[in-house]
Amino acid sequence: MSLRGWATALRDALHNTTRGSLMSLASMLSVAVTLLVLAVVALLALNLEHMAATAESQVEIKGYLCTARREEVKCSQRDLTEDEIEAILARIRSLPNVEQVTFLSRHEALEEMKRADPTQAALLAGYEGDENPLSDEVYVKVTDVEQVASVAEQIQAMSGVAKVDYGKEIVADLLAFTNAVRIGGLGLVLLLLFATVLTLSNTIRLSVYARRREVSIMKLVGATDWYIRRPFVLEGMLLGAVGAAVAGGTTAWGYVRLAPAMQQSMPFLPLVQPETILADLVLALLGLGALLGAVASYFSLRRFLKV
Amino acid sequence: MKTPSLDGINLRVERGEFVFLVGPSGAGKSTLMKLLYREEIPTSGQLILDGKDVARLPARAVPYLRRSLGVIFQDFKLLPDRTVFENVAFALECTDVPRREIARRVPAALELVGLRHKSRSLAAELSGGEQQRVAVARAIVRNPVLVIADEPTGNLDPENTWAIMNLLNQINQMGATVVVATHAAEIVNSMKKRVVALERGRVVRDENRGTYGYES
Repeated sequence: MSLRGWATALRDALHNTTRGSLMSLASMLSVAVTLLVLAVVALLALNLEHMAATAESQVEIKGYLCTARREEVKCSQRDLTEDEIEAILARIRSLPNVEQVTFLSRHEALEEMKRADPTQAALLAGYEGDENPLSDEVYVKVTDVEQVASVAEQIQAMSGVAKVDYGKEIVADLLAFTNAVRIGGLGLVLLLLFATVLTLSNTIRLSVYARRREVSIMKLVGATDWYIRRPFVLEGMLLGAVGAAVAGGTTAWGYVRLAPAMQQSMPFLPLVQPETILADLVLALLGLGALLGAVASYFSLRRFLKV
Repeated sequence: MKTPSLDGINLRVERGEFVFLVGPSGAGKSTLMKLLYREEIPTSGQLILDGKDVARLPARAVPYLRRSLGVIFQDFKLLPDRTVFENVAFALECTDVPRREIARRVPAALELVGLRHKSRSLAAELSGGEQQRVAVARAIVRNPVLVIADEPTGNLDPENTWAIMNLLNQINQMGATVVVATHAAEIVNSMKKRVVALERGRVVRDENRGTYGYES
């Protein structure tokens, strides 16, 4: 395929898109609108995903280690030695799906309580040393929230661990919600991709129809299918990319203005920051627009290229 | 079961021959020509062109087959919104012939059909006879081994019919094999070429220096 061939095809594609300029404008706008909806949905899905991920990252297993004061049967009414504690921590770290293990001794915990409320410090001082009623605690973060129950069970089964707690019901609800968000978002994005391909392929089909005489003559004089297809594929890519640029620009413009305002009125909401997402989003839209345009052209030409 | 449009055809055309294909409408003349440029594929049998079986050519080889043919139609099949030059150049452009080559060959082909002075006219501005001459120029610009014309003069008056037939004869003299399907009785009778008559999909007559043989 010569360079000149590509140049000719590009010239033809440009010629086609500018010739029926009103129709091209209309179809470019409809592509832009579907891609705009796609971009908005994608942003929404990304934000929900971000919120879900933030919520999931806060899920933590809290394990209480045995002390002399704890009454569980497996605790045998004595404090664990430091070596025993180290061994338990090492065993937890070696479990699959464990991301982070933090240990908080009951003495540190008491110090923290004193710091947190200095007015009670004198009272709390009476519980120091062997009088400490608290338990040594271990905090475990998992790599995959789906695995939190199984990890918690394994920790619970270890000797020296009195009890674990990870907010079972809340985690189950959270997982149901985040999974619904992910599946719903993906489904919606796929649906919109399909709509975009339909819009693009309709436009290209009109363009091919307007030039069907040319296409049939090209076939008769021995042009290859790829030669005939090339300008239409380029036209589709151009149409898709221009539509994507309009959609991406509009979305970026809106998000830059909307995100800070929303963050201000709802500070607890973990929003995706515009600067971390918009460049990628616009680039992805451009690539997607061009790709969808090429795919749509390819398929709308197939029927016309049959001998 | 449908009756086939062609049945039991056994035909041999030598390189450099000029053949008229005659017969009533619907006899299968157009189908026979379509088989030659692979617009249609025969349900059985062979169709050897230049040593290759056209019937069994893979789809990706079809464009290259067509580049070795020149095809002319009753309705010219020109692009009305392009100039005469562009219409002829089109056949070369869309097969990636170098630009310098196009600039040399198109005027030569137009010269042959006597339309070099109309290079810049739009195809739509020409008369029917002129348009068909442009189509002839487009068919021969690549020096095809075989020129196929399917009722090339069906839309033309007697004067232009003669002009086109003389042109096809001239192309034949220059070495191309020419097959013409036609209803132009007077011309077939006076040109004294090989005549193959088709009826209901079968060859009913094949004579050298033949005549049209039907009431026109």
